[in-house]
Amino acid sequence: MQTTVASEYSNEIHSVPIEHRFNPYSDNGGTVLGIAGEDFAVLAGDTRQVEGYSIQSRYEPKIFDVGDNIVMTANGFAADGVALIDKFRQQLKWYKFDNFGGKLEIKSAARYIQHLLYGKRFFPYYVSTLIAGLDEEGKGAVYSYDPVGSYEREQCRAGGAAASLIMPFLDNQVNFKNQFIPGTDGKEKKPLKYLTLEEVIELVRDAFSSATERHIYVGDGLEIKIVTKDGVRTEYYPLKRD
Amino acid sequence: MNTISQRFTHANTNDVANEINTVHDSLSHKQTLELAPSISVPPISQPTDFLRAHTDDASNPDCKIKIAHGTTTLAFRFQGGIIVAVDSRATAGNWIASQTVNKVIRINPFLLGTMAGGAADCQYWETWLGTQCRLHELREKERISVAAASKILSNLVYEYKGMGLSMGTMVCGHTKKEGPAIYYVDSDGTRLKGDLFCVGSGQTFAYGVLDSEYKWDLTVEEALYLGKRSILAATHRDAYSGGSINLYHINEQGWTYHGNHNVGDVFWDIRDQEQSFVNVDG
Amino acid sequence: MSDPFSINGGSAVAMVGKDCIAIASDLRLGNQSLGVSNNFEKIFGFGDKCFLGLTGLATDVLTLKETFRFKTNLYKLREERSIEPETLANLVSSTLYERRFGPYFVSPIVAGLGHKDNKPFICGFDSIGCIDFAKDFIVSGTASDQLYGMCESLYEPDLEPEQLFETISQALLNAVDRDALSGWGAVVYIVTKDKVVKRVLKTRQD
Repeated sequence: MQTTVASEYSNEIHSVPIEHRFNPYSDNGGTVLGIAGEDFAVLAGDTRQVEGYSIQSRYEPKIFDVGDNIVMTANGFAADGVALIDKFRQQLKWYKFDNFGGKLEIKSAARYIQHLLYGKRFFPYYVSTLIAGLDEEGKGAVYSYDPVGSYEREQCRAGGAAASLIMPFLDNQVNFKNQFIPGTDGKEKKPLKYLTLEEVIELVRDAFSSATERHIYVGDGLEIKIVTKDGVRTEYYPLKRD
Repeated sequence: MNTISQRFTHANTNDVANEINTVHDSLSHKQTLELAPSISVPPISQPTDFLRAHTDDASNPDCKIKIAHGTTTLAFRFQGGIIVAVDSRATAGNWIASQTVNKVIRINPFLLGTMAGGAADCQYWETWLGTQCRLHELREKERISVAAASKILSNLVYEYKGMGLSMGTMVCGHTKKEGPAIYYVDSDGTRLKGDLFCVGSGQTFAYGVLDSEYKWDLTVEEALYLGKRSILAATHRDAYSGGSINLYHINEQGWTYHGNHNVGDVFWDIRDQEQSFVNVDG
Repeated sequence: MSDPFSINGGSAVAMVGKDCIAIASDLRLGNQSLGVSNNFEKIFGFGDKCFLGLTGLATDVLTLKETFRFKTNLYKLREERSIEPETLANLVSSTLYERRFGPYFVSPIVAGLGHKDNKPFICGFDSIGCIDFAKDFIVSGTASDQLYGMCESLYEPDLEPEQLFETISQALLNAVDRDALSGWGAVVYIVTKDKVVKRVLKTRQD
């Protein structure tokens, strides 16, 4: 077995039979969702974990409190997700040692995660990543990433298996897309406003129960982490288990 | 300023810096922010094949990792400086991942970079370019030229040639010695200086409008409108372009932002005003 | 992508209300990324209160539309009455299954009211004719995932015609705004026992 040893002679690489179908990825399903409010932010995810058509766990949380009032999730391939979050947590620890325990702002955390993801540009983490917290002004913030680290701050974002089911609903109910003031003949848009925490939780629950109906990778339970200036709080709601 | 620039100019001959580096190297954890980023590759002999199998959606539609693509961007030189206009849609396959992407990166108050192709590649390397430009400024006590900035980027992507980076970008800026200048840089390593470029999946539609209406003597107002109108045409016909239009103007004072224009609204305004887009009723 | 179902793009949806149904589609016809027509309706009427929505490969959409026009006309001549939605559903099913090993690349949906009893009926099909009877809503096309999410969260049973119009329109509009290959206008039919109302929606044009 002189398989994965890099050779100086390029023609040898082709003639030596090396690894066949190197496939380090799998899809563990699940879906996640983040919404930013005026003075809070939430990250929600279902608690089902799958492999193919089998359910591996009905309660495997994937939203994590990583410290400094930031919650994080990396949905897709669970092993990569956990690896990424662990790596970020560890780096946050080092940051604290180096900076006399100072708080890492969410925008700095966001940039740092870009570097973690892009650091594996040629061997990507197979995850869609979300973080949520409060910005320097105390306003709710959600940042979303693609697998290789392009990122954007947004009001709301769904990620994972049922993102395509939930995202248009969020456009409609959070950003009031395609909604107009009655009687204006579609001339005046419904004005944007911050939703209250209660409204947001209701939307999240509706989004997940809808996704549970139509997506086999979503269900069992819904865990929501809520970030306010007072810290991180967790809520759990059951979802259908079929 | 001098101490900072000295430290970065002769990093390898500077005793203090060397000592710091040695200490850093001997520490158990890796330095958190390296100047030259290191990127890991899969532990196999042909990492490029691996990457293509897992991420390239043209050759492998049901690959697992979808990288955001699709764009229309343009920049042109004229009498009053440079206009930069871009759309804001990101797609992964037919899925519209975002309608609010920022495809213009503000490298510094005089330099802009546009994004087309892989969103992460552009975002990451153009911010990296920003730090390189700042370091140049500290070393040389002078703002970097557009030519030099674009060459830093093109040399960088050339190092990664064949590895699967995907970017088509325009580095636009204004310096004393160059005046307004636009360089097109892409991930093949192409670097072109020019007066007018459109880049992305909707480039042909944008060229159609831009070429037919473009004149060197355009006023700033006319030029801004032409940039917006060209992107609008592209967002209309190209499925992978849309969202909103971001507009910039660059002159000797640096760049100025001319707003975010939602295509959903702007389309009807311009259609009514120009009596154009007669194929659309409503 | 060379998947025949997503070369031309397009989406359709149908919903059941209280003694009424609604069926809607977008108006785009494209060639991959290039938008070609913004006037390509995917809903076709057969008889007074019976509608067929066809999404998928445009050439098959047009072929099947003509096939069903031919077949329903012959049906009307023989039976001296318009075809019932249930009957149309079975006609669609058997027509598609005739091409079991070389299918039409379409995902049809049927919606209508029974001609005598005005009973709402909707159903959907796969490309070889398996019928999906649904009591609430049916979706099809390149934005079907998005439509499932929208319908599942906005739909409620027993809506009056005006409320049903609002619901189906919001479902379609927000779904196609997240699909690159759908949009470019939309059309909605609201069918009640004594009239059919067709409304054209103003949508984003990107």
